[in-house]
Amino acid sequence: MATPEEIEALVARVAIGDREAFQSLYATTSAKLFGICLRVLSSRAEAEDALQEVYVKIWRNAGRYRVNGLSPMTWLITVARNHAIDRVRARRGAGADLDAVAEVPDQAPGPEASAIRTSERARLIDCLSELPDGRAMAVRLAYLQGETYAELAARFDVPLNTMRTWLRRSLLTLRECLSR
Amino acid sequence: MSGDTDPQDDRVLAGEYALGLLSPEEARAFEARMATDPALRQAYAGWAEDLAALTDDMEEVAPPADMLDRVDATLFEPPQRRSLLQRLGLAWIIPGAVLASLLVFFVVSNDLLVPDRGAPALQAEVAAQDDSLRVLAAFDPDSGTLRVTRDAGGAAPGRSLELWLIAGQAAPVSLGVLPDTRQGVLPVASDVAAKLPGATLAISDEPPGGSPTGAPTGDVLATGQVPRRDA
Repeated sequence: MATPEEIEALVARVAIGDREAFQSLYATTSAKLFGICLRVLSSRAEAEDALQEVYVKIWRNAGRYRVNGLSPMTWLITVARNHAIDRVRARRGAGADLDAVAEVPDQAPGPEASAIRTSERARLIDCLSELPDGRAMAVRLAYLQGETYAELAARFDVPLNTMRTWLRRSLLTLRECLSR
Repeated sequence: MSGDTDPQDDRVLAGEYALGLLSPEEARAFEARMATDPALRQAYAGWAEDLAALTDDMEEVAPPADMLDRVDATLFEPPQRRSLLQRLGLAWIIPGAVLASLLVFFVVSNDLLVPDRGAPALQAEVAAQDDSLRVLAAFDPDSGTLRVTRDAGGAAPGRSLELWLIAGQAAPVSLGVLPDTRQGVLPVASDVAAKLPGATLAISDEPPGGSPTGAPTGDVLATGQVPRRDA
């Protein structure tokens, strides 16, 4: 895998329509993004369609990337994850369009912010393990399967509002753990 | 949730947004706030960054070998069935092009521009609707070149203007990047020159040095019509 700086440079070149850079970016990142699509969609045919659409989006939206607050690899992962989640939700008939989420504009983070994030990121798994079992799983299911509050409530067999309270409390605990 | 200004609540809300747990209405409201609130954007970016770690242990899988070709086909080879003007987003231009060709016809039929030959001059004024960009392109069959004269407008800073030939239903063919100077000469291959009569010329906004894809990638800024031989 290329370094974040290399990926960032490739995305910047894709943003100005550099097809050679697009091919390099594809060569460097497609296995990772295909793995995500496969994991979310559990269907090779659907994951292939999703991956194709993901790279179309990457080509088209790379221009907006520089004003996006995410690190380059996170942006790519988020585009793939959100697109795959949209597809899996459409299959399940659960609404909510996530496509716009990765395109949210933001000021680019300073070098300190990026460095802090890299170390925070490695801690997520540790912090999740501090949550009670079911609650960590709910966060994972929301991220990896796009499960909604209603679906999670049904799965854990609790009222919707209880599920919502659990998850919000989990997010707060997570955020505090990650900020320690 | 009444305490929307509570930073703790916002951190949680940003996490719910990143996970896709908000209803479409809630998500839109969050996005609207985020547009004007850097702290909220930072909170979202932090969650996106942290949650992406959940993909760290996912196995990388090589996609099918033809995947990049499929992506390229979607991006760079639009289906031939759609009309060219639609593909270029030029459908709105038709009335303008008709008007332009009528003007050219008027000028040509009044012998104002025609050299003393039988056929009308292969030239066109390629102009924006509001005349913010206007380029006269005239083909010289003796030298096989297109003389371009920019009468108004120019490329945006750090951008290039590229001239395209659109003949019938064929894909646009680049005639080259317009020079920074007001006048310039673009060589035209003979097989391309053969397509000039009746063709539409268009100027698009492109990265420096022109489109990297061989097809227009930026906005089409101006168009014009080359008269037909039999005009």
